[in-house]
Amino acid sequence: MDGPLTPHSDPPAAGRPNARERRAFLPSDVDSTVFDEAFLRQLERLLILMRSPVRGGLKGGRRSVKRGQSVEFADYRDYALGDDLRQLDWNVYARLERLFVKLFIEEEDVTVTLLVDASASMTAGRPPKLLFAKRAAAALGYIGLASEDRVTVSALAGRASRRRAAMRGSGRIFRLLSDLSSIEPAEGPTDLLAAARHAAAQLHGKGVVILLSDLLDPSADRVIRELAATGSELIVLHVLSPEELEPQLEGDLRLVDVETGDGVDVTVDLPTLDAYKTRLAAWKAAFADLAAKRRATYVDLPSDANLADLMFNELRRRRVLG
Amino acid sequence: MPFTTPLALLGLLFVPAVLAMYLLKLRRDEAVVPSTLLWTRLVADVEANAPWQRLRRSLLLLLQLLLVAVLALLAARPFLERPAGLARDVVVVLDTSASMGATDVTPTRLGAAKAAVLDALRDLPTGGKVSVVAADRTARIVVNETTDLGRVRQALAAIEPSSSSGNLGDALELAGKLAARSGDAQIVVGTDGALATPPAGAIEAPIRVLAVGRSHRNQAIVALAVRTSPSAVTRSVFISIANLDLDYAQRRIELRGPGGLIEVRDVSLDPQARADVVIDDVPADVGTIEVRLVGSDPAVSAAPDDLATDDTAWAVVPPDQRRLVLLVGEGDPYLETALSYLPNVELYGVTPAEYGPRTERQDGRPWDLVIFEGTLPATLPQTPILAIAPPGSSPLGQVTGTLKDPGIGSLSPDEPILRYVDLSTTHIAEAARLTSPDWARTIIPGPGGAPLLYTGIRAGLPTGVLAFDPRHSDLPLQVAFPVLLANLTGELMGGSAAPSEAVQPGTPVSLPIPPDATGLAVTRPDGSVVELVPQSAESRSATFTGTDQLGIYSVTPHLAADSAPSATASGPSASTAPVSPSAIVPSPGPSGSAAVPSPVPVDPNAPARFAVDLFDVDESTISPGSAATIEALGRPSRASPAPSGTAGGTSAAATQRPTARDELWVPVVLIVLIALCVEWAVYQRDAIIRLRRGLSGRLGRPVDGSA
Repeated sequence: MDGPLTPHSDPPAAGRPNARERRAFLPSDVDSTVFDEAFLRQLERLLILMRSPVRGGLKGGRRSVKRGQSVEFADYRDYALGDDLRQLDWNVYARLERLFVKLFIEEEDVTVTLLVDASASMTAGRPPKLLFAKRAAAALGYIGLASEDRVTVSALAGRASRRRAAMRGSGRIFRLLSDLSSIEPAEGPTDLLAAARHAAAQLHGKGVVILLSDLLDPSADRVIRELAATGSELIVLHVLSPEELEPQLEGDLRLVDVETGDGVDVTVDLPTLDAYKTRLAAWKAAFADLAAKRRATYVDLPSDANLADLMFNELRRRRVLG
Repeated sequence: MPFTTPLALLGLLFVPAVLAMYLLKLRRDEAVVPSTLLWTRLVADVEANAPWQRLRRSLLLLLQLLLVAVLALLAARPFLERPAGLARDVVVVLDTSASMGATDVTPTRLGAAKAAVLDALRDLPTGGKVSVVAADRTARIVVNETTDLGRVRQALAAIEPSSSSGNLGDALELAGKLAARSGDAQIVVGTDGALATPPAGAIEAPIRVLAVGRSHRNQAIVALAVRTSPSAVTRSVFISIANLDLDYAQRRIELRGPGGLIEVRDVSLDPQARADVVIDDVPADVGTIEVRLVGSDPAVSAAPDDLATDDTAWAVVPPDQRRLVLLVGEGDPYLETALSYLPNVELYGVTPAEYGPRTERQDGRPWDLVIFEGTLPATLPQTPILAIAPPGSSPLGQVTGTLKDPGIGSLSPDEPILRYVDLSTTHIAEAARLTSPDWARTIIPGPGGAPLLYTGIRAGLPTGVLAFDPRHSDLPLQVAFPVLLANLTGELMGGSAAPSEAVQPGTPVSLPIPPDATGLAVTRPDGSVVELVPQSAESRSATFTGTDQLGIYSVTPHLAADSAPSATASGPSASTAPVSPSAIVPSPGPSGSAAVPSPVPVDPNAPARFAVDLFDVDESTISPGSAATIEALGRPSRASPAPSGTAGGTSAAATQRPTARDELWVPVVLIVLIALCVEWAVYQRDAIIRLRRGLSGRLGRPVDGSA
């Protein structure tokens, strides 16, 4: 399993627009902390990779399993009655006096579904995990828009998934950002499995499902298993705050769950912290192992990771982006 | 195990309190976390490893219970009993004489004796009393009958080695009397046993000697004197060195004056022998000298012998002051001859007819002594007077008749005027029968209470009266005559304000007070000043007892505010030329003038000095003596409860004697400290591990992160 990204407290200062430019670029209902323009320009050069070609509805920027009219040559086959004569390769016929039809890989669009965990636990951390998830989702969604993919955002809160309307084209970026900005954390406890099932039911065809969650749910493994079973390509971005990775706790404490209000009495000392870290590592390793088995991609991230590093280095290295 | 204060074991009641604190539910601070998912699973894991956690908490609990128990034990003062080795009452005699300053044992013999005494006192029975007597020249009680060993320890630490000779006999006698107060007493003596004359007399208590010292390596200055050479220009210094060692010794003598080194001599000293060294041509302007006995090789820094006290001696060079003596009489050749041989005396003579105001000296300096031989003027001069065979009654004494062939009465052997004077063969043909005045002290008593010689301070002036004319006796033909005359004139002229010979340390010194002085200030060698005042207005001397330091003491008289040491009554005398001794003529002066000589001589008011030196061969002989000799002085020990058998006491007293106690607070305190350290380490285990990881991380070594 690959390790988490190197945390960066601040994004690069170069290319960051000033406040006036941000106001001119971003609509008023978009959280200005989520994005800036220079970052979006960089994202336009990226593409969400898929392990296998997908069958889409519209012609998009991706290779389809269907051979069709496109510019990328794939193969030849013998002419059969009824074939489009425009696909005959007359040069080959001139040399071999046999009719061959040129086959092209047809580029089609896919649906990129961004599942953002909006449970109360995602509000913890400095910076909050939910904010980091929104920014990462916005970046990935913009990449999808720029690749002429259909992008849809779903917030997992409570026991349901609130799915926003799909969008296509980089011109819809503001809507994407508005959709992300409108995601609010759940008030009560969140059943991540029920919400994920709800989201899975809303999927149309195969595509890319990107789950951004802290996976702090007893059924998190089943969430991964069931999302992977939808046939879509699953990418799990496991977001944990620095406080969860390196707890700054000491002494005799009663730990209260922010979602359920349940308490756990624990005496936090060095051996306990060591045991916690061991437990955390095993927990993440189990997710990584499960994702590998289900042909999904698992990336664990600290919430203070630098988003540019994540997009341009870490996700490219992990073959999520290309 | 017995306890001194068993009630303190009630402190064990704190054990339930500690247990209760552990049993009470811990109040925990609340901390909100995103999820307790991982912590819940962790608690499950911790529960699986609970034995160690419980053990850890149990270890802290056990340590705290142990601390409470041990502290209660400590407060109860446990002890072990064993047979007491000493009697119930112990009198410690600590020899503090000069030889105890020998450094053949570390740090000194006195230090070793103190340690030995404290070690011996550990055998003191419970409730035993201790008295401490310090013995040097005199014996003094430092601590009297105390059960507080801390006070004894403090008193022993405060005892300093003295520079004086030791007198262990007096101290043992005093200790014997202290011991006699109790039925079960013992004397413990800390000494080197280097006693020239072992103390005599039986002591009614067993004596146990703690002998210290093992060396006899010592050379000492045992005599030092300064004499004026016949030329009266330079002085000669006589030094006597004694080698008290059994080996040959090579030493160096350094003669120092106030200005620095004067002379250096190397001396070779045979074992157990003395060597005399004479150093001539010491400049006359040297007031004091210091003689040091140093090693023959200056490059060697080690001490040449084991006792440094007797390696330095001081001496005061006697003042070369000329005294002016006026003899008024018809001319007694015996008397004139004897007076003319007195050192540093300028003798002038006039007949009774010539005596008068014209005999006042022209230089204004008063006569140091006026001797009236067979005559007395109507008005006595305000100077010291010696009247020989006064013709009639006067303020000097009433003449009531004549004594024919008077016998000499019983003489006091301590009379300084009669020192070295033998009058046993003296015969007197005729003497005046005198009545001794109130101020007078009879020196030579005659028949019927009529004194033949008396002296005293009359109206502040030294005065002496000899009742007979020497020519009417056979005294001038005897050796005693010039000696008596020297002593008598020396007494009347006051002599030096300080002893001319070296004083033994610790010896009281009688210091004469000049007539117009109100007191004396004595500056000791260490710079401290002791003020002396006469006990009464008539008293012309004061006793100084603080001669415990070796070195030069300076005596400065405090003059009265209205007196001046200078001669203010020289009057119109014009001539200041000294009168030749051969020209015994009165000084010319206006007849009838009121030229009254100053009653205060110049010399007595000048600062005087005297030296205190050890000069004691017996004390410098540091060879350790036999402890058995001293122990034999005490009553034999009839019962010996101590395993060593060195202590004693009566059998009845010994059987009733309580045991000695050894309190066990040292191991208990050690246990407390170790328990505290272990508890701290257990409690701070996390911090220690973090520190270790931090250090290992900085050093770049892998850290074992397992809990």
